[in-house]
Amino acid sequence: MSGAGSTHAAERRLSQLITVLAFAMPVVFVLVPLAIFLVYSFFSVDQGTIVHAPTLGNYVRFFTDPIFLPVFWNTIVLCVSVAVICILLAYPAAYFLTTLKGRWRYALLMLLLVPLLMSYVIKIYAIRSILGLNGFLNKALVALGILDQPSTLFVFNMNAILLTLSLLLIPFAILPIFLSLERIPQTLLRASDDLGASGLQTFLRITLPLSLPGVASAASFVFVLAIGDFLTPQMVGGISGFTFGRILYSQFGTAYNWPFGAALSVALAIVVIAAILIGERFGRSRGTSV
Amino acid sequence: MSTLPRPSTIFLAAITTLVAVLLYSPLFVPIVSSFFIISHGNVDWSSPTLSTYVALAGNHDILAALRTTLVVGVCTVILSVVSGTLLALYYHGRHSGRSILQFIIFLPFLMPPIISGLALLIFFREIGLERSLLTVVIGHTVFVLAIVYRTVLMRLQSMSRTLVEASYDLGANGWQTFWRIILPNLSSAMVGGAILAFALSFDETMITILVTGTQSTLPVRLWAMMRLGFSPDINALVALILMFTVLLCVLAARFLIPRQMATERN
Repeated sequence: MSGAGSTHAAERRLSQLITVLAFAMPVVFVLVPLAIFLVYSFFSVDQGTIVHAPTLGNYVRFFTDPIFLPVFWNTIVLCVSVAVICILLAYPAAYFLTTLKGRWRYALLMLLLVPLLMSYVIKIYAIRSILGLNGFLNKALVALGILDQPSTLFVFNMNAILLTLSLLLIPFAILPIFLSLERIPQTLLRASDDLGASGLQTFLRITLPLSLPGVASAASFVFVLAIGDFLTPQMVGGISGFTFGRILYSQFGTAYNWPFGAALSVALAIVVIAAILIGERFGRSRGTSV
Repeated sequence: MSTLPRPSTIFLAAITTLVAVLLYSPLFVPIVSSFFIISHGNVDWSSPTLSTYVALAGNHDILAALRTTLVVGVCTVILSVVSGTLLALYYHGRHSGRSILQFIIFLPFLMPPIISGLALLIFFREIGLERSLLTVVIGHTVFVLAIVYRTVLMRLQSMSRTLVEASYDLGANGWQTFWRIILPNLSSAMVGGAILAFALSFDETMITILVTGTQSTLPVRLWAMMRLGFSPDINALVALILMFTVLLCVLAARFLIPRQMATERN
């Protein structure tokens, strides 16, 4: 819009208004709330009211209390495991998609992404009923003779959270891996074939290294989405499946300690930012040079 | 490239099938339950019924939540498309301060929703804004803005500058160029952004739980009901929403994607 600086006064006023809006909107509705949130993490609570005096108490409590650091660490391990499971399932599927031609490729990709549009809450509920004592998983395992009787191994514990999050987040792993596989020039594969490499050699030396940026983005997507979720652990975690997201959420509900919750959020944000930066770093390094 | 299926191809196809089954099984459960009665994990296949759909029509609580969700979705789409397009137009080709503000716009989308939601919750309390549908719409708009902004910005970047220059050369002023050249070229990107924004808003749960007042949207209503277990009519609702979603996807794929590909190729 290089013509915005025309002589019409109305137009100039409009463009000034747009300038103000363009800066004000993100600042007022994103930056200011986050800044207030950060400031809150240095406040404290006394008798159910928030004390507006700076203190490092929340952070000291996070690092010294024997509860929080182990849960924090376990949650990180859990979410890394979710990312690994998602990639192990998503990579072969994405690879298979790229072997298909034309319409089929995108039709099948669409088919694998459609479940994303389905209500998150409903999916958690359905997965819980599949994993439960009377659920399909137990019935199948008993029918196959793997289990003697239905087991409570798959619901209301950490396993349940791991399985449910993996099921929910697979599509987020498929898309970036598919995009990075699709971007590999076919000529490279043909050249490798011409030079006498076997299918496996071509895969290990050409395809896999060139698709790693997509794997890195997929891992960081899945990890970030998994660690921020408090609905799934709340719903399928039971008493033993305690995650960081749940503790954080409880600070704004039953525990009613907003400043401490804000401090926990800062810890969560730091992990998330680190994951995004790592994903970005490895997701880009080779992708752009091809 | 042989046409015979090799072992590796069969392996890949098997994994892909497994993934599809895993992804669709949670959708399958409510749909089957909407037509058949399930007791103690056993489906009674002998007597299909539409009673769940009849019950849904009488469930005013859920229908009210659905209406609220649609209202919130439409408001979010209007706000995010208008402001996302304005922001994209403003920052397109302008580099001072763009990367920082772009980063700020993307923050709520990158951060876990619990952080964006809690930050907004505290913000609304500090400025004395009572939690209501307005705060929900603000929360959703902040969340989806990045997607609309990016969709429109990418279209702007792929648009040839000569179009705008030609318009000025032919004597059009800024307004005419905007209405006759820029906006029509952006329209399919805006529609695409709007569909994405609506889909995200329709299912947004975590931010909504934190910033909603007494009126809850459908996902939040479902979340509250889930502790006690769902009544069968919820399954009917789920089946209907799924059909609607698939229809929307097919329509979007049919009308939107080929046109986008065609414009990108030109």
